[in-house]
Amino acid sequence: MNRTPLFDWHASQEAVMMEFHGWEMPLWYPSGAVAEHKAVVTHAGLFDTSHMSAITIEGPGAFNLLQECFTRDLLACTAGGKQPLRPGRSVYGAYLNEAGGVVDDSIVYQIDEQSYMSIVNAGMGESIRSHLISHSGENQVEVIDHTGKAAKIDLQGPSSAKILARVLENPVKVLENMKYFAFKGHFDDEDSHADTVLRDGTPILLSRTGYTGEFGFEILLKPDRLLSVWETIMDAGRDLGAIPCGLAARDSLRTGAVLPLSGQDIGSWPFVNHPWPYALPYIKDKSAFTKRFMGDEALRKNESVEYTYAVVGYDPRKVSVHDPAVVLDEQGLEIGVVLTSTADMAIGWSEGTIYSLTSPERPENFKPKGLMCGFVKVKSRLSPGQAVVLKDKKRKIKAMIVEDVRPNRTALRPMREML
Amino acid sequence: MKKIKELNLPGSVRYAEDHEWAKLGNGTVVVGISDYAQDQLGDITYVELPAVGDSFEQGDEFGTLESVKAVSELFMPVGGDIVAVNEDLGESPGLINEDPYVGGWIVEIQPSDLKELDALMDVDGYVEMLRGFE
Repeated sequence: MNRTPLFDWHASQEAVMMEFHGWEMPLWYPSGAVAEHKAVVTHAGLFDTSHMSAITIEGPGAFNLLQECFTRDLLACTAGGKQPLRPGRSVYGAYLNEAGGVVDDSIVYQIDEQSYMSIVNAGMGESIRSHLISHSGENQVEVIDHTGKAAKIDLQGPSSAKILARVLENPVKVLENMKYFAFKGHFDDEDSHADTVLRDGTPILLSRTGYTGEFGFEILLKPDRLLSVWETIMDAGRDLGAIPCGLAARDSLRTGAVLPLSGQDIGSWPFVNHPWPYALPYIKDKSAFTKRFMGDEALRKNESVEYTYAVVGYDPRKVSVHDPAVVLDEQGLEIGVVLTSTADMAIGWSEGTIYSLTSPERPENFKPKGLMCGFVKVKSRLSPGQAVVLKDKKRKIKAMIVEDVRPNRTALRPMREML
Repeated sequence: MKKIKELNLPGSVRYAEDHEWAKLGNGTVVVGISDYAQDQLGDITYVELPAVGDSFEQGDEFGTLESVKAVSELFMPVGGDIVAVNEDLGESPGLINEDPYVGGWIVEIQPSDLKELDALMDVDGYVEMLRGFE
């Protein structure tokens, strides 16, 4: 089993650990997954995400290779699809196989004209590296899997910038006007882009991204700097409400933010008819793609006719997707399967509207009891507001098809409001 | 997870194999789950309680606990009628985590046969069973 350089720290904090794709990772700390989830929505949380893999794609053929294998059009994916990816910007998408199924999802960062980095899921570094190499054809490109050679901390939540400002060298210069999906610096001090450093001199790649739906950052650094930097950020964030968070909170936060987990919500089936059309290079009316890419034909033919939707329940009760759990329509007919079922503990219904702990217009003394949320894959087209029943071996749970779950998320808030 | 020596396991209650505790007082039996059980489950987010007046046999399922991890059934440590349920758990299911033996009690039972209570484990027997899981 793999361990990150923070394993002993997690153990010293008495974190409950779990196995996740070959890595022994914290599931929650003694504060508990509910407090961790709420901390990220209202203040800040720190996640050890060093189990994820970073790969680099470099050379004259790097652009072409990614253009062929990645679902985003690198010529039209920033500024609402009007502008190309450029150095210092990143973009979320997926790698598909010929059948249109998802090999993995990823954020691709453009480091330089012929240099890209792709962060993929735990245990996927080598798979994606060999996937890219096997499709590189004539492209002159070097693909390297840096698994274990780059550590990552996700600092997420509305207090993240204030915390970071306390530990960064030149915080104003680094953070000012930093846009969503922008990044700076490099974790390798020998790299010419390593211009973003912490006060202790540690070079970092600082990216305004994350996977919680909340404002925050991903910080890449050398593994030998991880423990020291983690403790420095923890100390800097304590009085601003930052706490360490485990995989349980990460799962409930991303689900409430309607973000998919690769291998669970997206997978071997065609990557189409889902809540993430932005991850595909659609033209405006979604009738065609702006480029050719691996798997595009399968998606265009779209013979699967399955639809993935977000669902939300009426209290925190969930179903076990391992049973497996099925979806029933209003007539009680089985129409599909449940992909994810968890609970967003920062939200609750009030008079037909979902409010979050941070909703400005939330009812007075609002104390959310949490709502089940997740994803379903069904054989029929459904509309937002439609009722479904999720059923596992033990019980049936009423739920509703929705377009969004946790309101008032902070991910897109302008930097000037967060400093 | 807590180590066995870190667990709060009072000697004043009896323990069932499914980790419920039962405490006799004034002729009724108050029931909850042990510190070990709440620690294993993680944060409790929702409690499905029976109605006052419901009757169950020893070992019957009488409710469920929803935790961040999963849903777990609650089983009657002794048979009898439900005479009270902890209404505070509706607003604050986390009481079971914070205070499993006092504020986090779950139901109160009018037992049909007090001998069933004697068949449950005392704290030493329960600790011995937990050691078997290590």
